[in-house]
This record gives sequence, structure tokens and C-alpha cells, in this order.
Amino acid sequence: MNDSKTDQQKLSDEEIRSLVVARLSVLSPDTYVSIGSDGSFSRDELIARVQAGDEIGKEIEDIQLEWLRSWKARAAAV
Amino acid sequence: MMLVTRPDYDPGTKYLSSWSQILIEEARAKGIEVLDLPGTKATKSEFEGRLKKKQPSLVVLNGHGNEDCVTGQEGKPLVESKVNAEILSSSVTYAVSCQSAARLGREVGGYLNTAYIGYEKKFSILHSHGYFKRPSEDPLAKPFMDFSNHIVRSLLKGHTVEESVRRAKEVGETHLRSLETSLSDPDIQMAAAFLSRDISCLVAHGDTVKCIIY
Repeated sequence: MNDSKTDQQKLSDEEIRSLVVARLSVLSPDTYVSIGSDGSFSRDELIARVQAGDEIGKEIEDIQLEWLRSWKARAAAV
Repeated sequence: MMLVTRPDYDPGTKYLSSWSQILIEEARAKGIEVLDLPGTKATKSEFEGRLKKKQPSLVVLNGHGNEDCVTGQEGKPLVESKVNAEILSSSVTYAVSCQSAARLGREVGGYLNTAYIGYEKKFSILHSHGYFKRPSEDPLAKPFMDFSNHIVRSLLKGHTVEESVRRAKEVGETHLRSLETSLSDPDIQMAAAFLSRDISCLVAHGDTVKCIIY
């Protein structure tokens, strides 16, 4: 039971990561994201961070999910 | 009187410095005295010295930071929680910096007749390669600049801290609505996501009915 739940959670995390990578992969190569003192990151650097699942990658995932949820809420309100 | 710190040693700080240059020109055009600490002048000794001597009503801190501090040139701390936060007492401070509203801002806001505006999470912007020498002209960064700069513009017009934060969020939301009409442009979609985060984590602590101009 627990293993099944863990697998489901893991799959969900992977799906989120894939979604965020897909969104990042269509950015212009000239676009950079400056994230505070962590630095400025190119498209490819952002993708690498998300795929690595490090702190920056998780921050980007969090921002993307928050945006998609708010966008969904706005669309529903129209 | 307004004091502005403008470190400029990496892309992020170069953008913030350029945005504040516009505000400095606008303030001076209104006859407001500005104490400008650009680049290598954005040090703790210069900052503390000017602040103690002139006691400006508005302090604009551009620079990297964390929950406990805001830094100047080369990431060296200018103001830190439990160290010299009291130096901002009696002023309105706007920190364009990551996370400083979470702890430093609360501490500063606890002083009498004092307010602190800042971000509770990381402050992020999108920018384009090719605009490093003219950041204020970067169209991808413009919504972030308009949103952030509007806080100072509103304070300089005589609005309260609370009202200035509300008006800046309205400016940001207007940009968001405009960005949402460009769903086919992935860069703009990404800008909207990061701008939305910045808007949501902008807060004010302390005397939020305080004005800097009466």
C-alpha cells in the first residue's frame, strides 16, 4: 500500500518535472531568468537545474505550478 | 529626501541599478534631494554614514539579500537583522531584494513611525541577452521594472505605504492581464509566471499609513 502510494507520488513529481521542462524548452535561447543572488540562468541552465531537482530547480517548479493554478483560477472566473 | 543604494556587479543588480536611475531622475525633477550610492559606493560605511547624517524619509535598497539582510556591492551586507536594523527606524524602506521582508522587514517595521516594504520570497526577473548595457530598454524586463518602480513613484506622489503597495500590485496585475493575451509566446508566458510570484510576495510591515511626503 505504502509502496504503491510512493510510486504514485514519484510519478507525479516526474510528471511535474516533465511539464516544467517542456515549458522551459520552448523559451528563446536569449532569455535569462535572474533569481536573486542565485544568479542569471539561460534556458538550458534552467532545464538542467529542474532535471537535477536542486533548490533552484524546485523553486522554478514551484513558481510554474503556482502560475498554472492561478491561471486556471482566472480562466474559470471569466 | 531619498537614499538609494545601487550595487551593479552582476546582471541582476545591473538591472535594478538601471531601474533606480530612472527613479532618481524623476525624484530630482520633482525637487526631491537624492543621496545616490551607486556601484562601489554601495558599502556599509557609506550607507550608514549618509543615513545617520541626513536621515532620509525614503530608503531604496537594491541588491541581493536573504531573510536577515540586504547587501550592497559584491554582496557585502549593508543592513542586517539583530546587527544594525535600527538604522532604518523612522524611515520608509523599500528593499528590492530577495526574502528580506520575512525577518529583517518585520524587525524594522517594529520600530516606531517606521515602515518596510519588501519581498518575502525570492525576487526574480526575466531579461534578454543583448540588453545588459541598457537594461531599462529590455522589453522582457519592463513589466518587472514598472511594477517595482511604481512603489517608489507612488510614495513620491504622497501616497501611504499601504496605498503604494496596492497601486504597485495593480500595475503588476495590469501587466499580467496584458501578458496573458500573448499565450503563444513562451517567453511572455514565463515572464507572467515570475511576475505573478513577485506580486504575490510583496508585503509591507510597520506603520503602513505612513507617507514620505505630506
